[in-house]
Amino acid sequence: MAERICRALRDGVLEGEHAPALTIKDSIQSPFGFLVFNHVLSQLSSFIVAQKSQSQGIVLVALSRGPLYYEELFKSKGNDVSSSNKWIRVLDCCTDPLGWRSKLMESGRIANLTLGTSTTASLYKNAKDLDKLLLAITELGKELVGDGKGRFAVAIDSVSEMLRHTSISSVAGLLSNLRSHDQVSCLFWLLHSDIHETKATAALEYISSMQASAEPRTRPVNGQRGNYEKLPFLEQNLRGGKIHVRFKRRNGRVRLMSEEFCIEQSGIKFTPISSEAEMMARSLVPKVQFNLQLSEKERNDREKVVLPFEHQGNGKTIQIYDGRKSLNEDKPEMQYTSAEKVQTVKDSGRGEIIYFRDSDDEMPDSDEDPDDDLDI
Amino acid sequence: MAGNKPRASSFSRNFSAASNTISQIPGLKHGPNGTMFLSSGIPDLDKILGGGFTLGSLVMVMEDPEAPHHMLLIRNFMAQGLVHKQPLLYASPAKDPRGFLGTLPSPMFSKDEKSRDRDVEQEKGLRIAWQYKKYFGEQNSEFQRDGKSEYCNDFDLRKPLERHFYSGQQIDCISLQDSADLTTFQDRCSSFLSQTSRNDRNITCAGRIAIQSLGAPQCDFSDKECDMLSFIRSLKSTIRSSNAVAVITFPPSLVSPAFSKRLQHLADTLVSVKAIPDEDKELAKLLTGYQDMVGLLSVHKVARINTQVPTILEATTFSMKLQKRRSLILECLNQAPVDGSTGSSYASSSSCSGSSKTGSLDF
Repeated sequence: MAERICRALRDGVLEGEHAPALTIKDSIQSPFGFLVFNHVLSQLSSFIVAQKSQSQGIVLVALSRGPLYYEELFKSKGNDVSSSNKWIRVLDCCTDPLGWRSKLMESGRIANLTLGTSTTASLYKNAKDLDKLLLAITELGKELVGDGKGRFAVAIDSVSEMLRHTSISSVAGLLSNLRSHDQVSCLFWLLHSDIHETKATAALEYISSMQASAEPRTRPVNGQRGNYEKLPFLEQNLRGGKIHVRFKRRNGRVRLMSEEFCIEQSGIKFTPISSEAEMMARSLVPKVQFNLQLSEKERNDREKVVLPFEHQGNGKTIQIYDGRKSLNEDKPEMQYTSAEKVQTVKDSGRGEIIYFRDSDDEMPDSDEDPDDDLDI
Repeated sequence: MAGNKPRASSFSRNFSAASNTISQIPGLKHGPNGTMFLSSGIPDLDKILGGGFTLGSLVMVMEDPEAPHHMLLIRNFMAQGLVHKQPLLYASPAKDPRGFLGTLPSPMFSKDEKSRDRDVEQEKGLRIAWQYKKYFGEQNSEFQRDGKSEYCNDFDLRKPLERHFYSGQQIDCISLQDSADLTTFQDRCSSFLSQTSRNDRNITCAGRIAIQSLGAPQCDFSDKECDMLSFIRSLKSTIRSSNAVAVITFPPSLVSPAFSKRLQHLADTLVSVKAIPDEDKELAKLLTGYQDMVGLLSVHKVARINTQVPTILEATTFSMKLQKRRSLILECLNQAPVDGSTGSSYASSSSCSGSSKTGSLDF
């Protein structure tokens, strides 16, 4: 299922639609969002290097960890770093997001820092201005794939960091503009859901088409916060957890999937969930009624039933049937049962109406029986 | 399907020759209590609402953040307006709203497609057991389908709307993303509605306003809820005195509950769409036709203008299905047959809450 996410990002966007966008959420109870992010990033980069994906490059907006971290990451995963400037550009918003260092350096307060940055990183100093950030991202993307039909993927290290500097509406604007940009193939970002207002998290979920949230494997029974500090819970929850994914499919249905993950030396490993599937909330289904439509067979049978007055007006004499005489034509024998209502019997031949008279024990010509002139 | 029968009273409006011109305007028809309807673009929705959207009313659609079904409603609404040559105003939070016009569906004409033939056939073959038939001759009840343009078209969602519907049409597209507040948009709406105002007796045409995702997070004014409320209030009052219908969709999960409630009360017709989980075995067992369903549509309020009598619908929730992947149909939810072992559902009363699976169903 983590495979599905990576495949969805790899396949990218269809013509005329918005790019798929993934939100990776975590919280303090299961703080492994960045590991999931790294996993997705390295998977996507291996697809790109092998040229199996729609996007030809990644633009990584690094807000919480610097470009050196990502170089190390790629080296450890075995990706070739030397050729990395062909398929990745890092927008370094981590070293100096608000431009304070450069101001201090200009005024001579601090010495010039030599950061061992690679050729793929470019420094960005204006984290508060998201219009400029959008421009910077798209320019880097165009550097990677050229101006034509090529597409690039965008990875945002932490939208939580972005939300520190600007409002949710500008972040939402940036993300939706990226989604509808002609050259963006897919988009994914990391979010720490418990440090923001619910409105911000809801807005980001609204914009994304897939959500992967990392949750603890076990939750304490009585839900008190103090329990999280109990050692067995901590131990279990720090070794792994569950990841729940919600896909918004194109036809409007929502696909829900879950997997377990565990943290190992080499990174994160996903395994299918062992316990039984959870029950879906059925409260969304309101009053349902029974099916009043007829199937094909039922409709055919209904056609064959001879209705009471149907043969009248054909010139034959009218015989009023009152349910007590037996007719001389090929009708089956009537059974005199009391307290039965009129039933319609469907069988394979002619459909017939078997009429059981309501009030059989009464005198004939009684006014109470309204079916007196029922003529079959 | 649920339809509601209008209450027939002994008084009826005398439609004189002067108002016959109204019925000749395509796309409008008379409704009860002196109102007029225009079509929503979805035949089933028109039936459920008792004729269509009332002119002068405000329709609100509550979105589900996980499904794009509100777009289906807006697309059909706009496409119907273009087919009937009604002026259209469209606003959305996208940077380029004109691009959305390319996704509008094309109408299916009854001559080419048998879209509604199941209904037609049943009506033609209707056999009536009527005891006074012998006194009358054979009466033909022909189903007349004339060549005039229909009030409501069936739309084929897979084919885009042809170019000739766009030419010569007044279509205004407004992007809500860049404006810091709603004043310019409000002015645009007022000037649009002044074209279709109700001052003169004769209507030339009706207008349509479609606002998509008011309150989406990309717009700067999304946190200024008071401004949005006053905009909707002024829009509602302007629309009431003009011959137009406004359809506004908003995401209730992204705005505060108080604001959402206020918007729901401001609406004349309130509809909500909901997503359904994919490959849910429980739902598949519970509902027939689950495979074809794409979502659920609930009607919460139906516009009633000039009357105090509310509309009470037989069913308020409908399943949205794409018939042959093309046209949108709304059906009542049908419960799947209960298997014989549980048994008691058939014997229970006609109310559908009598299901034997007590634990798992919560109506």
